[in-house]
Amino acid sequence: MAYEKKKAWSILLRLYHWAFALSIVALCITGFYIHDPWTNTVAEGSQSFVMTWMRFIHFVAGYVFTGAMLARIFLYIFGNKWERLPEQLPVTPRNIKNFFNTLLRYSYIKDDHDTDRLGHNVLAGMTYVAIIVAAVFQTISGFYLLFPEIGTWEVYGVMIFGSQQYARYIHHLLMWLFMIFAFIHLYLVIWNDIKEPEGLVSAIFTGVKFQHKT
Amino acid sequence: MADTANKTLDPRLNRRGFLKGCTMAAAALGLSETVVPKMVEAATSGQRPPVIWMHFQECTGCSETLLRGAHPDLANLILDIISLDYHETVMAAAGYQAEEALHDSMKKNRGKYIMVVEGSIPTKEDGIYCKVAGKTALDSLNEVAAGAAAIIAIGACATFGGVQAASPNPTGAVGVDKLITDKPIVNIAGCPPNPVNFLGTVLHFMTFNRFPALDQLKRPKFGYGRRIHDHCERRAHFDEGRFVEQFGDEFHQAGYCLYKVGCKGPETFANCPTARFNEMGVWPVSIGHGCIGCTEPAFWDTMTPFYERIPDVNIPGTGIIEDADRLGTQILGVTAAAVGIHAAVGIGKRLIKGKSGSDES
Repeated sequence: MAYEKKKAWSILLRLYHWAFALSIVALCITGFYIHDPWTNTVAEGSQSFVMTWMRFIHFVAGYVFTGAMLARIFLYIFGNKWERLPEQLPVTPRNIKNFFNTLLRYSYIKDDHDTDRLGHNVLAGMTYVAIIVAAVFQTISGFYLLFPEIGTWEVYGVMIFGSQQYARYIHHLLMWLFMIFAFIHLYLVIWNDIKEPEGLVSAIFTGVKFQHKT
Repeated sequence: MADTANKTLDPRLNRRGFLKGCTMAAAALGLSETVVPKMVEAATSGQRPPVIWMHFQECTGCSETLLRGAHPDLANLILDIISLDYHETVMAAAGYQAEEALHDSMKKNRGKYIMVVEGSIPTKEDGIYCKVAGKTALDSLNEVAAGAAAIIAIGACATFGGVQAASPNPTGAVGVDKLITDKPIVNIAGCPPNPVNFLGTVLHFMTFNRFPALDQLKRPKFGYGRRIHDHCERRAHFDEGRFVEQFGDEFHQAGYCLYKVGCKGPETFANCPTARFNEMGVWPVSIGHGCIGCTEPAFWDTMTPFYERIPDVNIPGTGIIEDADRLGTQILGVTAAAVGIHAAVGIGKRLIKGKSGSDES
């Protein structure tokens, strides 16, 4: 059976994906350190600034994360056909059908794969939208924790979270959400790549997917 | 000219002590020294603003901290600068006389007096949980607040509800600003608050006839505008990664950062590290105990456990109360198990059906 190459992901989406993914890794590691520092610099005056460095990396990665999130929101509105928001949500009969089809496929009840879409299936698309919404809250809580004395962040931070400590609590819980999401995401991507040899994994590097010639 | 020779004030208060008090208050407010004479003048003008001090659900710790104030002359200053017409625990009058003093002052100074509220106000069951002189706290508050020029809520209870408002809040306790919305209110947060912050606010009000700049939570910025962590003497240990692992260990004896034993300095706003307490230059962190975040809203709910960084996760309806990281690890473990089962089912199906699982193979 012959395959044909089809362009699915724009360069900006691929950049967003890797900036988002790598910043999450950096943020989780440094975030855990900031939450519960596992080292103890016993020697005084030893040129060791562990916490300072961890926080610095955390903040830089936080800005990368914010930029990636904004890029994805931009693409939800101005991206290509497969990247835009309506394609991700069960709002059309075609998408609703795909949603249930995906559920059946993931539970090994059905085998056939919808061939009318190059982008995400609707279950994945919805999850990604939810993750971006979580990222918005993560960013707001993060900036509120970083700049509690700056007017705008103080106003919105107090309005949404009430206090620094509550913002910190939400910030920590959302980190777990991102970690659990990343785990399931990796598994399902590999699972789909094995089930349907479309080149799903390489598509996030090259932007190209493969479909059967009809 | 200001009465710095002290002709009208309490004779026990000497000029030096009085000026010292005013200067300290000006410094706490971040005002320049040129304002000190103005403040002295306001404090000695003889027009002592009448103050009515109401106690509701509280422990009187805020009055205690004020009476044993940091500055030796502070108690005198407070009693001389303001005309404290009604204060249940300090006033000599009792019973009928006390009530009369309250009503007289309210009538005479209507629209001019400052109302100080200490303690939270219960709202459930029409507020029957707190009654003084046969009236509920809710009624007293509304009655006295109606004629007040301004309201100062002092302490964690009057500002954000305090321990009474901690979950599940059986009496429906709330702070003053949840009930009174048509008067200028300032929150002097803390359990107890630093007397300097109360004194500074009163003197600011007397000098400029308005409250100092407030933050989002109505706390005066001079006292609550900056983070404890950023002005902590142990901050260098934090930055360099030197932490107390448990109370009493060698790192604790060496005076390292209390972050890992739950100090809430990084999320608490107050001037404790700079103003300090009791004229001895002490505050909780300086004597080896972490900050418990008492100046922040709902601190009994969000700052506990006091020796952990963040609250435990409470999943409603299940009775599960668990440390966030332990719960996260458990969920991640369950997810991994689910993934393993899912993958095994796929492999099993493929083995049973032969190699026809996918249209490709």
